[in-house]
Amino acid sequence: MAQVFNRRTNTIVRLGIFVGVPVILALLTATWWYYTRSDWVRDVGVAHAKVQPAGNIPGAGGYSHQLHVGGLKLDCRYCHTGVEISSNANIPPTETCMGCHAQILPKSTKLEYIRNSYEKDEPVQWNKVNDLPKFVYFNHSIHVAKGVGCSTCHGNIASMAVVYKTEALYMSWCLNCHRAPEKFLRPQSEIFNTAWTPPADQIAQGLKLKKDLNIRTSSQLTNCSICHR
Amino acid sequence: MSKETLDIQTNSGRGYWRSLDDLAQSSEFQARLEREFPSEAAELRDPVTRRSFLKLMGASMALSTLAGCQFAIKQPQEVIVPYVRQPEQVIPGRSLYYATSMTVQGFGIGLLAESHEGRPTKVEGNPDHGASLGGSDAWIQASILTMYDPDRSQQVLNAGKPSTWADAAAALAAAAKSAGNGIRILSEPNASPSLGAAIAALTSTYAGTKWVQYDPISGDNAVDGATQALGAATNVVYAFN
Ligand code: HEC
Ligand code: HEC
Ligand code: HEC
Ligand code: HEC
Ligand code: HEC
Repeated sequence: MAQVFNRRTNTIVRLGIFVGVPVILALLTATWWYYTRSDWVRDVGVAHAKVQPAGNIPGAGGYSHQLHVGGLKLDCRYCHTGVEISSNANIPPTETCMGCHAQILPKSTKLEYIRNSYEKDEPVQWNKVNDLPKFVYFNHSIHVAKGVGCSTCHGNIASMAVVYKTEALYMSWCLNCHRAPEKFLRPQSEIFNTAWTPPADQIAQGLKLKKDLNIRTSSQLTNCSICHR
Repeated sequence: MSKETLDIQTNSGRGYWRSLDDLAQSSEFQARLEREFPSEAAELRDPVTRRSFLKLMGASMALSTLAGCQFAIKQPQEVIVPYVRQPEQVIPGRSLYYATSMTVQGFGIGLLAESHEGRPTKVEGNPDHGASLGGSDAWIQASILTMYDPDRSQQVLNAGKPSTWADAAAALAAAAKSAGNGIRILSEPNASPSLGAAIAALTSTYAGTKWVQYDPISGDNAVDGATQALGAATNVVYAFN
């Protein structure tokens, strides 16, 4: 009987098995990783893509933490009044901006949207940057009270002209800390310091803080119902 | 208030309806019904047939599963809308508790209403109030739903038709003049001092006015019995111990 396939097909089949299949698997893995695990799909570090405030308000210069926090050294709690007492950090009402900007730069076109909002009693709408799915419960007050500083989760806000994400907010990220908080804990005086860097003996200091602050064990803090309630 | 809302509020009786437009019986809705479902217009307008019921249920189930999915790979962009002027006590993310009361069998029971950014969500007994001591019952628990009940009265009604306070006052004056023995006000038992004061003011304006309180399920007989047995109008509280 004549051969249906000639010898060359062997090579092609081998190539297919040993090269093609791994390439396809690699592509599938990469796609899966990109869409479910990577920072890119979550816009980490992307500041320019978002218009702040939401919508195209003519003349809007948005709001810059670099100017107000980095430059003017305002405390986070001046605006984010809820961080120590509530689940929400709270974005300041127009009134808070007007407290200064009724006097400071009262004619600036970049502040027109703030004045409009105040006069017409229409709230400013800010694009949400850090956004957890609604089935996750998060609470700022406990983290701030138990030695987790803003910059651990939000990065160096004081250097950002436009806020961007520094963490992709995957569940693994939350758990990574809940399993071993000592790697990240800092003294209470440093909570609002956006440029804090861990000391050389972080683990030792962290373990001490963990004990002083009565932080629960890793198995208690990874209980599903803490975050999915 | 829009015309539709008015119409809905005044629509009394036990009609069945599938949408607010339907309920309002607006002519646009009728026209759309006939245009889009010429063969089924009669069926849709009619009391629900088994076939259309199954169809509607199937469609709504399919739609609700779809609505639960997010086809987008990225989360949709959300916005944060802060206050323009933040009310003093409001802390977004934390609930506020207001002391309030509800009439149960004529008497006010002190309650605490939990509210989130201005929306009441839960009612519990007020521990500082003698009549509830922090407790509540099924009716009190369910009373939160009346807050969001579209049938909750939002305006002056006259025989089911929307009216105004001025019209109501005029109607009262006319009635007081034509009625021989004065007006009668019928209500559930109510111990509210402010309602009492309002009715007292009415009584002094229109002589002969009487306020009749009626409760189909009342504790009056028990109080009468206690009066006979103990000599004074008494509410009996049992101590099971
Ligand atoms: C003068 C008021 C003000 C001060 C002070 C301030 N912020 Fe903000 N912050 C805002 C406003 C307004 C927004 C919303 C606009 C935006 O996203 O840029 C915001 C947004 C944010 C966001 C992003 C919220 C989101 O959508 O996920 C973070 C994180 C944040 N601030 C952290 C901080 C930290 C940390 C500090 C202190 C170091 C601070 N802010 C100080 C006004 C302030
Ligand atoms: C503590 C006072 C203070 C508060 C509160 C404050 N600002 Fe400012 N803001 C300033 C000062 C000071 C400047 C810089 C003035 C300069 O550049 O000379 C400034 C500058 C700005 C500018 C740039 C204006 C321009 O013409 O360049 C914008 C936009 C702005 N602020 C927005 C906001 C918003 C939005 C809020 C509320 C979330 C806010 N500010 C709250 C003090 C304040
Ligand atoms: C443990 C991590 C963590 C820490 C620490 C933390 N944040 Fe956040 N922050 C988040 C997450 C996660 C969100 C998104 C919450 C959501 O979408 O429900 C968020 C949201 C915000 C927002 C948006 C408004 C809101 O309430 O959702 C602001 C503003 C903010 N954080 C400010 C701060 C400030 C200021 C501090 C420091 C005092 C701080 N955060 C500390 C994780 C953190
Ligand atoms: C850098 C460390 C760190 C990160 C990141 C972190 N947490 Fe926490 N979280 C803590 C610590 C510390 C506590 C306090 C535990 C205690 O008091 O026992 C805590 C407590 C909590 C609590 C309160 C538990 C309770 O029973 O009251 C919730 C809810 C929570 N975290 C949710 C989250 C979520 C959701 C994320 C991710 C978006 C997250 N956390 C990220 C450190 C962290
Ligand atoms: C420290 C907080 C925390 C704890 C504890 C936690 N989760 Fe999550 N979970 C999250 C966050 C945050 C997300 C959202 C992740 C995202 O946006 O991708 C999430 C998402 C999920 C999802 C949705 C799938 C996904 O990846 O988006 C599932 C399922 C889930 N968690 C199951 C669990 C189970 C089961 C447990 C207990 C073993 C648990 N979680 C414990 C914070 C937590």
